[in-house]
Amino acid sequence: MAVDETQRTYDHPLYQHVERMPGLSVALGNIDQLLTWGSANSLWIFPMATSCCGIEFMAAAASAVDLDRMGSIPRGTPRQCDVMVVAGTITVKMAPRVKKLWEQMPEPKWCVAMGSCAISGDFYRDIYSVIPGIDTFIPVDVYVPGCPPNPEALMHGLLRLQEKIRMLREGKLTREELRPESPPNLNRPAIGRLHDPERDPLTSEEQTDSAAGLGFGDNLNLARIRRPRPTAEPRPQPGAEPQPAADSDEESAP
Amino acid sequence: MTRDEAQERFVALLQERFGVSEIPEGNYPLVDVAHHFELARALRDEFGYRIYSFVVASHYPAQLDAKNDNAVIDTEHYEVATGLRCIGAPAHLASWRVRVELDQSVPTLFPLFAGADWQEREQYDLVGVRFADHPDLRRLMMPEDWEGHPLRKDYAIETACPPWR
Repeated sequence: MAVDETQRTYDHPLYQHVERMPGLSVALGNIDQLLTWGSANSLWIFPMATSCCGIEFMAAAASAVDLDRMGSIPRGTPRQCDVMVVAGTITVKMAPRVKKLWEQMPEPKWCVAMGSCAISGDFYRDIYSVIPGIDTFIPVDVYVPGCPPNPEALMHGLLRLQEKIRMLREGKLTREELRPESPPNLNRPAIGRLHDPERDPLTSEEQTDSAAGLGFGDNLNLARIRRPRPTAEPRPQPGAEPQPAADSDEESAP
Repeated sequence: MTRDEAQERFVALLQERFGVSEIPEGNYPLVDVAHHFELARALRDEFGYRIYSFVVASHYPAQLDAKNDNAVIDTEHYEVATGLRCIGAPAHLASWRVRVELDQSVPTLFPLFAGADWQEREQYDLVGVRFADHPDLRRLMMPEDWEGHPLRKDYAIETACPPWR
């Protein structure tokens, strides 16, 4: 009996025993169903909570909404968890840590972006230290919008994640569609931030002018603050090496 | 001693020993940077200001007169405000500021207050003002390979921050 590799939820040692034994491969479908049922109903959560969404996550884990009753138990270590719930703003300094924790989680694993900061950066998007959405460096399965989302909204997001896992079992999603390969380097955000060649220049200009109007009066030289706008260039392909940061004299300590 | 009396004593100290003539309303008195360390030492040893409360650096870009052919009103400079608090009643906060040009540095208060170490590192990291003779003036908040100092006025808005923009 030919086994369709792409329709499997995940690899499990059980499969090898089943395939080796004659006749038992008929049971493969049932075992796959069993494993899918188990993984969808025991989504242990690694709470990557960095700010106020983490408080809502605690409320969701507490008695009123009670994620435990659907098998979603928050654990303190990535090595036992299936779902990483990124709840809060991720900064440039935090992002490598989040990526490292994500890579420590065993397969199969899923990611939920909780709140608008994790989804897109929200109003911190253009700040120098904030990542414009965690999907620029880890694959996200479910987005839960809100600022912060209700505990019920997070519950709904996890229920949708269970749906997604079951759809995979039914072959409606292949593994590649469910969780694309994480890029070796970073993706560009879907909407350009400041200084991005694909950003609307009018937006940048309005933002510059409104920020420059804060307390400088007539004495402000706008040419000092406005930088020359970069020319539009093709987006680098995923997998291309990022540009190495140039050394400057200012950052070296005396 | 009430807090007002402590403030009067602080102002008298500034005027008599450190040559401060003007005490501005609603702002900290401006002290010559040459007196910065001596003032802190006098406050700590003679008046009991033992808590290093804060240090805040600000970056001021050059002010140009747009109506007068961009004549320079004020050059680009830093202002560093420091606050010391005395223990016990009246818990007065003695605070002053010094002005330094871009190429100048502020003498560190680390020999007087060990708590100045990280606070001055933070100000160096975010604003770029240098503290002379600081033992370990490295970045504190930003990643080690970060370019520039993000709280400078000319850094904001349209500075490219790799790798995401």
